[in-house]
Parts: sequence; C-alpha cells; structure tokens
Amino acid sequence: MLHPLTTLASQPNVALDQYLPLAVIIVGAVGFAVANIVLTKIIGPSRRGANKGMSYESGMNPVGTARKRFNVRFYLIAMVFLVFDVEIIFLYPWATTFPNLDPANPDAGIWLFRIFFFLFTTIVAYVYGFRKGVFNFD
Amino acid sequence: MVSTFASMADFLAPAQASFPEGVGSVTLAHYLFVSVAMFTMGLIGFLTRRNLIIMFLCTEMMFQAAGIALIAFSRFYLHHTGQSFVIFVLTVAAAEAALALALVVLLFRGRESLNADQWHSLKG
Amino acid sequence: MSSLLVLLAPEIVLFITTCIVMIVGLWPKLEVRSLAMPIAGMGLLIAGVLAINTPANPESILPNIIPYAKAMTAGVGLLLVLLLAGTVDRSYEAAVERGELRFNPIHTNRAEFFAFFLFSLTGLMLCASATDLIWLFLALELVSLPTYVMATISTRKLRSQEAGVKYFFLGALGAAIFLYGFALLYGGTGTTNLIGIRDALAEQAASGGINPIAMAGIILSLIGISFKIAAVPMHFYTADVYQGAAAPVSAMLAFVPKTAGFIAMMGILAAVGWQYAPGGETLAADGVGTLPRSIYVTLAAIAVLTMTVGNVLALLQRSIKRLLAYSSIAHTGYMLVALIAGPSIAAEAGITSNGLGAVLFYLLVYGVTNIGTFAVVACLERPQPDGEADELDDLEDLRGLCRTRPVLGWVMVICALGLLGLPPLLGFWAKFLLFTSAISAGEIALVVILGLNSAIAAFYYLKLVTLPLLEEPEGDAPATTPFASRTFAGVLSAALVLLAIIPTGIVDAAMEAADRAGTIVPANIEAIERSITAEALRDEPTPIIDR
Repeated sequence: MLHPLTTLASQPNVALDQYLPLAVIIVGAVGFAVANIVLTKIIGPSRRGANKGMSYESGMNPVGTARKRFNVRFYLIAMVFLVFDVEIIFLYPWATTFPNLDPANPDAGIWLFRIFFFLFTTIVAYVYGFRKGVFNFD
Repeated sequence: MVSTFASMADFLAPAQASFPEGVGSVTLAHYLFVSVAMFTMGLIGFLTRRNLIIMFLCTEMMFQAAGIALIAFSRFYLHHTGQSFVIFVLTVAAAEAALALALVVLLFRGRESLNADQWHSLKG
Repeated sequence: MSSLLVLLAPEIVLFITTCIVMIVGLWPKLEVRSLAMPIAGMGLLIAGVLAINTPANPESILPNIIPYAKAMTAGVGLLLVLLLAGTVDRSYEAAVERGELRFNPIHTNRAEFFAFFLFSLTGLMLCASATDLIWLFLALELVSLPTYVMATISTRKLRSQEAGVKYFFLGALGAAIFLYGFALLYGGTGTTNLIGIRDALAEQAASGGINPIAMAGIILSLIGISFKIAAVPMHFYTADVYQGAAAPVSAMLAFVPKTAGFIAMMGILAAVGWQYAPGGETLAADGVGTLPRSIYVTLAAIAVLTMTVGNVLALLQRSIKRLLAYSSIAHTGYMLVALIAGPSIAAEAGITSNGLGAVLFYLLVYGVTNIGTFAVVACLERPQPDGEADELDDLEDLRGLCRTRPVLGWVMVICALGLLGLPPLLGFWAKFLLFTSAISAGEIALVVILGLNSAIAAFYYLKLVTLPLLEEPEGDAPATTPFASRTFAGVLSAALVLLAIIPTGIVDAAMEAADRAGTIVPANIEAIERSITAEALRDEPTPIIDR
C-alpha cells in the first residue's frame, strides 16, 4: 500500500513555492503562540494563590467529581450555536459566487433574494430561541 | 461525461486519467474503498454496540462515508454536484447531532443509563 | 424561477405558517397561544387550495404527481390537526389556568409540536415536487426529523421517550443507508437529476446492462427508504413507536413518513423504469415489462415478508395501537405489490392497470381510515393522578363500546371494516385497484400472497369490529377526552370511509397523478445522448462571468 505515497513523493514537478503562503501562516501561528507565552511572562503581573492555581479560573469550578452534570443550558447554547455554525457553510459558497455575477444579469435579484430568504429563516430560529428563553441566564 | 461500462473494473479505469499529475496513482477506487470500509464499520458498530452515543457516532460515520463517496465521484466527473450535496449532508448531520444530544440528555435524566438494552418497557 | 415559485407555493405557504405558529405558540397570553392550532389549520387549507391548482412540472420525473400528492397531504393534514388538539401541555396548561404555575415558555411544547407537524408536512410536499436526489434527500429528512421530536414529546411518560429514541436511532440508520444509496446512484450515473439518471440508466441498459454501482445504489436507497414506509428490514421500530407515542401522533406517523417514502420510491423506480424484460436486463421490445431483475427480486421479497410479518404479528397483539402498527406494516406490503406492478406501459392501459395510481389512492384511503381508528384510541382515556390522562389501549377496553359510547364505537367499527376492505367501503375500492393493477402486470404469485394476507388480516380486524359491536359492556362507560375536535376527526374520517360510493373523482386524480411516470421507453439513443450533452453543458452555472 506504500506505492501511491512513494510515487507522490517522487513527483519531480511539485512546485514548492506554492506552499509559501502555508509556511507563512504556520510561522505566524507558532509565533503568535510563543509570543503570547513569552510576553505574559515578561509583562504580566505574577500573583499566586489557590484560585489562581486552578486549571480554569473562570467558568466551571473544577473541584469535585468529574462526573458532575453540566447545567442543561450549555446544551441549549450548543444547539443555538449549531444553527449559526451551519448557516456559515451555506454563506461561503454564495459569497464566493455572487461577486462574479454579471451586474446586467436579470437573475441577480433572485440570487440576492435567495440568500435573504435563507437569512430570514435563521432570524426566525433566533426569534424562536429568544422567545423560548434560551438566552435568559438567571 | 456519462459513459456506459459493463463491469466495475472498466468503470474505474479512466479515473486514473482524470486526476491531476501529483495524485495520479490514487484512483477513484481508493476513495471508494475507504468510503465502503467506513460505511461497513459504521453499520457493524451500530448493530453490535449498545451505548447510545457510540451508536449515534456510528450513524454519523456512515453519513461521512457517503460524503467521501460523493466528493470522490464529484472529482471523478469534474463537476460540483457531489460537493454541493456534501454541504447539505453536513447540515442534516448537524441537525441530527442536535437532536441526538437533546434525546440523550432527556434519557439520561429519566433512566440514568445510556445502555440501549435497558430500553425494553415497550414489548409485544 | 417564477414557475418554480408557482410549483412550490403550497410549501412556501406552509413554511410561513410554520414560522408564525412557532412564535405564536410561545405567546404569554393563553388566547393568543391557543391560536396555534387554528393557524396551522388555516395554513394547510390555503396550501391545499393552492396545491389543487398547481400545474404539472415537466422537469419532474413524476410530472403530474404534484397536485394530487400535495392536496392529499393538506387534506389528511387537516384531519390530523383536529386530532392533535390537546396532545401536549395538557396538565401544564391546566396548572397555569388554575394559577398554580406562572407561564414559562421553556416548559411548554405547544409551539414546537404544531410547528414540527407543519415542517413534516412541508417535507412531504417537497418530496412530491423533488426533481433531484439532493432535494429528495433533504425532503425525506425534513419529513422525519420533526417526527422524532413529536413522538418524544407527545406525552410526558417514559414510554414516549423510549419510543422517540428507538425511532430516532433506527431513523438515522435508515437515513444513512439511503444517503449512501443516493451517493452510489450519483456515482453510477454522473448526475443527481432524476431525469438525468433515468436517461443515463436507459443508455446503460441499452448498451450492456446497468452499471453495478448504480444498481447497488438503487437497492441501498430502497432498503433505506423502507424505514420510512415501515417495510421489513427496517420495521422493528413500528410497534414500539406507535404504542409509545400518543395516539394522534401515531396516526400521523402511520401516514406522513409512509407517504413520503412511497413517493420517493416511486421517483427512484421511475428513473429505473418498469420496461425491462423479465429474464434479463434488456429493454422489452413490446413495452410490457418489469423492473430489472435484482431490483424486482429485492422488492418482491420485501413485499412478501412485510405483508406476512405484519399480519401474523398483528394477530398476537393485545394492545390496539400495536395491532394497528402491525397492520400498518401489512398495508405497506400490499402497496409494495402495486409498486412492483408499476404503471402499465401498454398503450391500451385502463384505469385498473395503473399500479402507481393505485398506490397513491391507497395512501390517501389508508391515511383517512387509519385516523378514524387512532381517533377512537385518542378519545378514550383513563384519568391519572397527575392530570395527564392516559389512553385506553387494550382491546378489552373496546368491549361493548357501541352501547356505552355509540359514536366512538361506530367510528371504530366502520374504520376497522374500511381497513379490512369490505366491499361498499372506501378501503375496498383501494384494495380492488391494487389487485387489478398487479394482475394486469402479471404478478400472479404476489397477488395470491396478497389475497391470503388479506384473509389473515380479517381475523384481527374482525376483533376490532365484534368487540364494540357484539359484546356486552363490562362496568362503567370509559371516560372520554374533553377535546371534541378529536371525536370530530374520527367521525369525519368514518364519514369519508362510508361516503365511498363514488370515489371515481379521486381515483381519476390519482391515476392522472401517476400518468407518464417511468413509461418513457428510450427508442432513440441519439436523442438521449444529445440531452446528456446538454445536461453536461448545463453544469457550469450560466450567469457566472469570468473576471
């Protein structure tokens, strides 16, 4: 089964310069992480204590059994997030196609209408969640 | 674009030609093999495992197997239909995941167990 | 685009109604909240009226099916809305009205319940107008996903949750299987357009046989969709789910996913066509034929097993809802026989030889009749200490019902006889068409098995008739539900079953709906190749210009 991989590696015409943007991003990402750690060490105030030593200083209290149940609101938020998360994968193909549309094309209005209708459905979901009280934290 | 092939081997042979240089030796058959393996593992897992979350993950794996097959065919035919199908498949999978999460939470509250074998009050 | 808007007008109306119901059902004021059900009914009514006037869609593989299928959906949907009254939130709303609880939208289910009901019906209508595998997949999922939730929240009892879980997990498995089938079908033909698939398959069949990948895809799709119609390899959930969910929801589950599944199967089989010679995979010259051999064998095995398993297990049941669930499986088997028979391809075909029309008519009749029987279960109840009354679900509870509760008793008698298919009733005409279409397609073996199964079915349907009609009542009359519209739905469906003297108008509509489906025998391969080339050219979206 090694055969496909070896042939891929031995291809002479793989243009390495095409990977330059990728290399820039990798360097940028690693640099960002390293810079954050180093800079907080240098600039940040250093306090110690029981609360500071916890794995998460904000959010869930990590003391006690790990089998504790989450508040069910976390699931509600997760589901609301899912709506908007999935909405994005439809917006991307539309957004990359729409600028290429000929302005004189009579279908342009329909293309715009379609995405507005789609956004309208998301708004209905949002209003429903709002009325249902999903965003009420008390 | 659409041609007739009498047998599977004949059908898959031109796939070699349609891929670009660098991936020339990874054919449609390789993708389909992965996809069928994933689908079969998902099916076997669904039928043998008894934990509800594992069972749900198995169905998700079957969905993604279909996704791989769609993408591979889409590349093979050099058009976008299969790829757009996959976007919709992902949406439906997300909707099912939301539903499964809600059901599992509801059930765990009711019975404190996620073992599918404990659900047998309806029988006859 | 505008023609598409006209074709989809019923769905759009239903969708907008759904949005309104979703918001209105959560209103803090009880008067506004109670409007959710009437609004749902109004939306269905408008959608039904729009559906009747929808033109045929030449781009669909079943060009004439839209008006009939959508009007049927809206009509049966209206009966179901009446039946669904008071299914959820009953004890909660009572407590709110007594002032014990303050209204909190997060604890109610009314808005979701009716919205999901409408979503499911929208999905069913979209199934009927599907021209593409992607569309068909989404429509089938839109039918199913809301029904999982409806089954789960229909009562506050643990059995509903168990039913919902079983339904969801098997449903997800079924969806994964038919999705994989669709993927392979796309791979084998190179297009997701159903008409494109039909042309590609016809071309393949003419030059050496259908591609094995496409064939595997078709068979996987059919097996996956058999979950929706409750046919044998995927029928395990049926009895548990129908018993666990509230009776109005069970009545809906027996109609909506089944109809969607049959329409989807018709679409896929119409892409294959019924014009193959019985022996091999070649086109029949005289235009009289059947499905390709492997599909035929798969479907025939499913049909025979479905009928037999459903009827034999129904004989053993003590619970009315389980009995009706197994009878629902059996009815699926009957309809599969006519689906195998297909539309008659011969030119002189009459009204009695169109199998698809028979299936479409049978779906309507089964939906209406079934609502009657489930309405009786929904109307009889046993008061519970927690205020959420439980349904009477034992066959013994029907004893002497015609004396104690004459209206409900007679509804049960009439609808059970209708499901049995007693001659003057609506069910008889539906079954008659199944028989004649299968005979004219030459499926004698299947017809004999169908006849034997109808005889077995008589045993348990007659239980539903004799217990209310002939037995003496024991003890007091059972309590009935305060929701009068449920009784009304039952009476209405019983009346429809009785008023079957002249169903020819509906039969004609069903036959017309199935007209021209899968009948196009490709005589001219060149024409097909031209259309495929056109299809390939159309792959590039035309309004895009290169910058």
